[in-house]
Amino acid sequence: MSSGAIGMLETRGMASLMASTDAMLKAAEVRLCGRHGIGSGWLTAVIAGQVADVEAAISVGEVEANRTGELIGAQVVPRPDARATDAMPHATGLGAEEVQPRAIGLLETQGLTPLVAGADAMLKAAQVELGGWAFIGGALCHAPIFGDVAAVQTALEVGRQAAERIGTVYATLVLPQPSEGLGPLLPPAPAGLTRSTGALGLIETIGYASVVGSADAMLKAADVQVERLSIGSGGRITALATGHLDDVHAAVRAGAETATALGELDASAVVSRPDPALVARFATAAEGLGSGARQAMGLIETRSTVALVRAVDRMLKAAAVEYEGGYKVGYYLTAAVVRGDVGAVQVAIDAGREEAVEHGELVSAYAIPQLYSGLEGRLPHV
Amino acid sequence: MAGDPAVGMIEVQGVAAAIVGADAACKAADVKLAGWSSIGGYTTAFFTGSISDVAAALRSGEEAARGVIEHVVAVPLLQPAAACSHFVDFPVRDDSDFPAGALGLVETRGYGAHIHTNDQMVKTAAVEVVNVLTVHDRVVCSLILGDVGGVTEAIAVAQKLLADCEHLLGTALIPQPRPEVLAAYAVPMGGGGV
Repeated sequence: MSSGAIGMLETRGMASLMASTDAMLKAAEVRLCGRHGIGSGWLTAVIAGQVADVEAAISVGEVEANRTGELIGAQVVPRPDARATDAMPHATGLGAEEVQPRAIGLLETQGLTPLVAGADAMLKAAQVELGGWAFIGGALCHAPIFGDVAAVQTALEVGRQAAERIGTVYATLVLPQPSEGLGPLLPPAPAGLTRSTGALGLIETIGYASVVGSADAMLKAADVQVERLSIGSGGRITALATGHLDDVHAAVRAGAETATALGELDASAVVSRPDPALVARFATAAEGLGSGARQAMGLIETRSTVALVRAVDRMLKAAAVEYEGGYKVGYYLTAAVVRGDVGAVQVAIDAGREEAVEHGELVSAYAIPQLYSGLEGRLPHV
Repeated sequence: MAGDPAVGMIEVQGVAAAIVGADAACKAADVKLAGWSSIGGYTTAFFTGSISDVAAALRSGEEAARGVIEHVVAVPLLQPAAACSHFVDFPVRDDSDFPAGALGLVETRGYGAHIHTNDQMVKTAAVEVVNVLTVHDRVVCSLILGDVGGVTEAIAVAQKLLADCEHLLGTALIPQPRPEVLAAYAVPMGGGGV
């Protein structure tokens, strides 16, 4: 049993959590000792210190959370028992970068496409540096920028407007003098290659199956490179392509059409002359995986594990197809991929669709007769 | 799962009802717990055995899970294709040594409430918090171990503390849980959150 106290503050959205954590760390002698996200954007910060300090900090944090967003709950536990806290998962995942004594700006959006468009506008608007980015469930994602107060304020305002033209901005935040202990809340910055490209095109869909179809259509429509299928949240997933501006425009048009035909298009955007840092953060290709099989591909996606397992079992028994892999989009949708001859994949998909509909909610099921070779080895389901 | 005559699957919202269902299934017939998976706040328990054992286990598991949550999907898979084993995210780990006793489950939407509730449970009764599972869509389930009396008391404490909590999903008590159920669910896996 420790002599102090722990306090926890739970909010929806990172802007609100960061603002209230900053306020807590400044209000009393407490330290941030953990964070935990449980999906749908619900995040908890855990602080520790002497009882009076933790109580003071939490009451300040509550006010700040309500002011900047949505407070879910707050509590103080004096003299916490290790038998209760040791098994709790909030202490893992700490240890992000150090916070420099510069202003932090945070753009938080629903879906990745408005975030990328907003981040590009921020980098072009003022002298700011882009941090990493992260999803926190419920399709919410955020990216911090760093710089002088004035630069961060200017950039964030421009970024918010750019993001709003594409989709929904959930929250924005400027912390003029951030507390040093905020590091664990900042997403790690992916170490991608900074490079120039004519344009960056984005197609964001609901579901893995339709994003694969869209990426395939983009590659077949114009001379572009699909850099990565980004991890998603709340069922949303984004394909990012680079190339000359005209090509990217054509590819995004084709990709958007395909996404609408196969399932649901959430957002699309073309960013011309993206900042090289933006390409590094968002469009760095994932590790090359994949079978390299030049066969037809069948994709099926559901909301239920039982429906998917039943469908895959039925597909494998219905025709000469092989299971290639599965993928979960933000722990919300679950997809499976089979490969085989065109006819076999078609028969399998028809059987799988029937089975999935019977046992749960089917999101999509379709066959791609010949996957564009540029996509082979880039898909994350293997 | 490959080579087994049948697989039973129990899918529910949250994880508490699936644990109760898996335990009842393993006690009802000669089946082996393969593991579990989660998607969108729903979890699925998988177990294998002969066709008739899986059928009997599914019936008992479904009934027990219904005691915790209303909607339960309980479906068999006969002669499963080998690839189906890829869908078990968390296979049961062997050689786990768990004390006999009882398993208590407290499930809510939201993480914060668990810190306070778990603290009060271990301070009130002779129980230990062995794991806190995060299964997305905000569902969080605390697993506590102790003797039947201790766990009963701890669950009562949690129910009282969370009586006004709009996010309480359910509580459950499993006396003498099967070791494979503990091996599947009661071992902290680290992370699980976003």
